Amino acid sequence: MTALLEISGLRVSYPGVDEPVEVVHGVDLVVPQGRKVALVGESGSGKSVTARSVLQLDPDATIAGSIRLGGQELVGAAPKIVRGIRGSGAGLVFQDPLTSLNPVMRIGWQIMQPLVIRGVSKKEARERGIALLDRLGVVNAAARFDDYPHQFSGGMRQRVVIAIAIIAEPALLIADEPTTALDVQVQAQVLELLHEVADERGMGVLLITHDLAIVAGFADDVVVMRHGEVVESAPVDELFAAPKHPYTRGLLGAIPRLDSDPSVRLTSVADYVDTFETVDDEPAAPAAENGAAR
Amino acid sequence: MIRYLAQRLALAVVVLAGLLVMAFVMVQILPGDPARAAAGRNATAEQVEAARVALGLDEPVIQQFWRFIGRVFQGDLGTSVFTHQPVLQDIAAVLPSSLELVAAAMIINIVVAVPLGVFAAYRRGRAADVAARLLALLGAALPVFWLGLLLQLFFAGTLKWLPLYGQIGFGMDVPTITGATTIDALLSGDPAAFGSSLVYLILPAITLSASFIAVIARTVRSSMITALDSDYVALARATGASEFRVVVRHGLRNALIPMSTILGMQLGWMLGTTVLVESTFNRTGIGAYMVTAVLQTDIYPVIGSIIVIGIVFIVTNFVVDLLQLWINPRLRDSAWVRRRPAAGIPVAAQAGLTPAGSVGGVR
Repeated sequence: MTALLEISGLRVSYPGVDEPVEVVHGVDLVVPQGRKVALVGESGSGKSVTARSVLQLDPDATIAGSIRLGGQELVGAAPKIVRGIRGSGAGLVFQDPLTSLNPVMRIGWQIMQPLVIRGVSKKEARERGIALLDRLGVVNAAARFDDYPHQFSGGMRQRVVIAIAIIAEPALLIADEPTTALDVQVQAQVLELLHEVADERGMGVLLITHDLAIVAGFADDVVVMRHGEVVESAPVDELFAAPKHPYTRGLLGAIPRLDSDPSVRLTSVADYVDTFETVDDEPAAPAAENGAAR
Repeated sequence: MIRYLAQRLALAVVVLAGLLVMAFVMVQILPGDPARAAAGRNATAEQVEAARVALGLDEPVIQQFWRFIGRVFQGDLGTSVFTHQPVLQDIAAVLPSSLELVAAAMIINIVVAVPLGVFAAYRRGRAADVAARLLALLGAALPVFWLGLLLQLFFAGTLKWLPLYGQIGFGMDVPTITGATTIDALLSGDPAAFGSSLVYLILPAITLSASFIAVIARTVRSSMITALDSDYVALARATGASEFRVVVRHGLRNALIPMSTILGMQLGWMLGTTVLVESTFNRTGIGAYMVTAVLQTDIYPVIGSIIVIGIVFIVTNFVVDLLQLWINPRLRDSAWVRRRPAAGIPVAAQAGLTPAGSVGGVR
């Protein structure tokens, strides 16, 4: 299986007060053609920055390393090339459907944009937009095509956002926490839909999330990030069955379970990682001190 | 939508009522006796008293107020002592010239301020942004009459590019059709007079617009920054739209909402500011008319001008409300208007792992 997206040695830094602050330190990541990869980590782990650097949406960020999409190197590429892959090479779905649609434009206009700017006629763009919206489960899509975002519910808006992201038929869909802002029932629907549509179109998906419950049912591979580095990467079954890195074990252990004993305190990631770091970094020092004091 | 319109209309009526009350109170408390002014400078005491009875000024104040309101609604704003003409007729003759000046200043205002604000927002924090803000502030900081004099000195005096003052070139004349010189010249099919009147309009319009540009530029800048930082602009960019398209089609439309509100109010303020500009550039207009009336202690033209400017203000603001209905589709949805968050802050979606402690709280 060929690699659709190949990120290697990616470093991203932002301008700081005195010197640039590096937030992603050499990330390697592969999304094979037509596969779904989950990028997991807590807030601030650099997962969003990594994913967004594919489309180079942040003008302040300095990107080093290599990002290859369909064999084309994007780091250091001309702005025109980067713009060319936006939308048609890789589509992007954001976290909050309430803010990712333009409030003063009709949703149809917004869905048609990716096609219109690529020279597709308005009539054809409209037909394809309505068909896609219909496929994404918006009831009465033709009539609702000229509605405004505020007339849609959160779940329906996220379908509109997905339509905008995939209408230009990208080979890769980057979904940045696409269900975080939705309620649980709608989350399941939207994920199911993403899964189906990706399979139908043979689209590779890079799903960014902190929710491991989502990952299990959705992804083929999982990449775990922490502090701007990849700590573990494995096929999903392998990772859930035998997490190698203590941090991954911490993430899995922190999931509350309905059948767990209510009198036992839930564990946090820190319970796992602190143990790990203490053992690894300064193995004997506390013990030696204790011994000396005694 | 109907609810929104009804609210706005009700607001306009309230403002109009307030305006009329204030105008009436001004007649009462301003120094100078209207009866004496009406009777003339050399009138005897009996003649003044006769004028007082004739004008109804001997009646109780409340009765005078209702009479005043009744007259205003009949379009009777009193008679000017100076011109011996009904005030409304005087104002109708001079107002178009002021509106022409305000329109020209408004065009300059929008054409300069909007791109300046968009540009500053797009390059925020960089040298271009600082320069744009400095330029805008400079315009706002200079007093209108002083800026007018400076421009006259430079463009008319030193460079001799533009006329010093007036309405139209010497020896040219256009028939009064609307009262606005440029439009009259156009209507009478006189291209030379039209060109001349436009040239005479340039300096006054620049002077009038200068102090308003800063406000619009800063409003556009701040609302453009909000728009450019928003997810929907990032999404538009992520679909491969060009920067121009992202900024203008996706960003600017949202920035128009706060801008249109302020432009509506500025139109009213500009009409008031014509007082300074028309005096400096020796143009006819409601400002110059007011100045003359004040100097003659001719009270009815002053009050009448205030009422007319106030009404123009109310009407333009109502038109802006209608415009916003078109720009902002959410206003058409009365349910949205009622539930909209006061600060417009979207529901913060929590990202990242829930801290273990708070989950543990479910124990």
